[in-house]
Amino acid sequence: MSEAPTEQARYRPGSLEILAVGLVLLVIGQRWIVGIFDDPALQTGATIFVSIIVQALPFLVLGVVLSGAIAAFVPASFWRRALPKNPALAVPVASCAGVVLPGCECASVPVTNGLIARGVTPAAALAFLLSAPAINPVVLASTFVAFPGEPMMVVARFIASLATAMIMGWLWLRFGKADWLRIGPRDHLVGSNSWHTFRLTATHDFLHAGGFLVIGGLTAAALNVIVPQNWMDSVAAQPLLSVLAMALLAVVLSICSEADAFVAASLSEFSLTSKLAFLVVGPMVDIKLVSLQVGTFGRRFAARFAPATFVFAVLMSVLVGWWLLT
Amino acid sequence: MRREVQAIVLILIGGAILRISIGDAYLNYVKANMRIWLILSGALLVVLGGMALIDVLRKGRRSDEATPHDEPHEHDDGHGHGHGGPRSAWLLLLPVLAIFLIAPPPLGAYAAARDTTNGVQPREAKAPPLPEGDPVPISVSSYVSRAVWDDGASLEDRNVQMTGFATPNSEGGWWLTRLAISCCAADAIAYKIQPLEVSDLPADTWVTVTGHWVPGGGTKSDTAIPLLVVDSLEQVAQPENPYE
Repeated sequence: MSEAPTEQARYRPGSLEILAVGLVLLVIGQRWIVGIFDDPALQTGATIFVSIIVQALPFLVLGVVLSGAIAAFVPASFWRRALPKNPALAVPVASCAGVVLPGCECASVPVTNGLIARGVTPAAALAFLLSAPAINPVVLASTFVAFPGEPMMVVARFIASLATAMIMGWLWLRFGKADWLRIGPRDHLVGSNSWHTFRLTATHDFLHAGGFLVIGGLTAAALNVIVPQNWMDSVAAQPLLSVLAMALLAVVLSICSEADAFVAASLSEFSLTSKLAFLVVGPMVDIKLVSLQVGTFGRRFAARFAPATFVFAVLMSVLVGWWLLT
Repeated sequence: MRREVQAIVLILIGGAILRISIGDAYLNYVKANMRIWLILSGALLVVLGGMALIDVLRKGRRSDEATPHDEPHEHDDGHGHGHGGPRSAWLLLLPVLAIFLIAPPPLGAYAAARDTTNGVQPREAKAPPLPEGDPVPISVSSYVSRAVWDDGASLEDRNVQMTGFATPNSEGGWWLTRLAISCCAADAIAYKIQPLEVSDLPADTWVTVTGHWVPGGGTKSDTAIPLLVVDSLEQVAQPENPYE
């Protein structure tokens, strides 16, 4: 689509024309397209794809509304006063602040982006990114309901998630490099008044994250249909392998953190510790979320941050599970 | 992506969300309590897109194309991250097309057959007594929980009525099935009942069944499939909310 601006006179189709022609072609070809989706596996995949997007979209919108509000209405000085000056102390404070964002992981990515753009130290903002979807009251309540007779599961989830978030914050402080993080220039998002800034920021953040949510939803739906169900039965019996299997399953399934406890509970052949790994890894590292991180913070960031988070989330789950759940 | 195209994408995705949440189609994908949030977020996206479109019309398309600042992604930093809007935003059209062109149906027999376990263990094994009524209408999940985890204690000597769809059993016959979701269809969990002495039904046929419980389907296990003696069976239309 690269345009040659030198010759204005020559006609070249722009994105508007491509959009219009594409939509007309699709409407004409609708019968044919619907015919392809007659296969039950494809249909199931399409339903799961639309479900993930429809479920995540209000949370993504909540996230971009909050990030727009942070940019437009909260002065940068507020964060300097609210968080401890010492970044090493700001990390645990920000991790615990995750309690107040009652949403799932899709909301926390744009909020974190907004916080960093507003001058919050990245280590603290990233700790918030990891803890918010895992330790808020809505998620803890659904975990309590999903595990009858296992109230310690809620405590274990809270501790293991908080610990992983703090460790990742401190690791970033010690080893993180600023140029891994791509926070795009945001000067052009300053509008003529606060409302204008709010609108520009929310629109910008939504368009940048939305496409990656779609990639994540597509991948999760495809794997959901492709991964055979009975491969899990064979690994469930081996303690360490089962923890890894459940952690990987959490990455693949990309279930909203408010619902993952019910899915974990339904996989009854697995040990409690491996279910804990599912609940700790899922809100921090899953395909949909990593895809959102790539879109918001860049590939260089996600390629380092996501695997490290995975490793520490699994380690913390094993430790806390061994301590509280056996 | 030009600014007016960004605006149109926003309006389309917002419109698609509004379209399914104003009718009943959203129930194929998420729970009923999501409706208000879907309407609010859909409306907000339409408003954001509409205002962006007004911005463009006010400034005029000419200035938009003339100033390189407004179209920098064509020579961006390689991340697709320009001021105008990233190329990845085109992908937002995929769910729009899926909703308007394909309108994926609710999950059914294919997904239920893939779920090798039968429901989840209820919070309390002891089930409260069934309400009045002969037959008493109950959910498939309630029947499975009562039969499997409470040894059918609350089902004895009662006629029950349930609505579900047929999932063909690979060993012959079919299971009366209902999927339960806790957030969206990606987390659906299947509940299955084995009806006794019924003729074969094609997959995904919705039926309302009246009958009574008999022991023999196994208990205290999430692979046990409880039995049901069928007194009457009627084909029905798919309920408004396909999930429990």
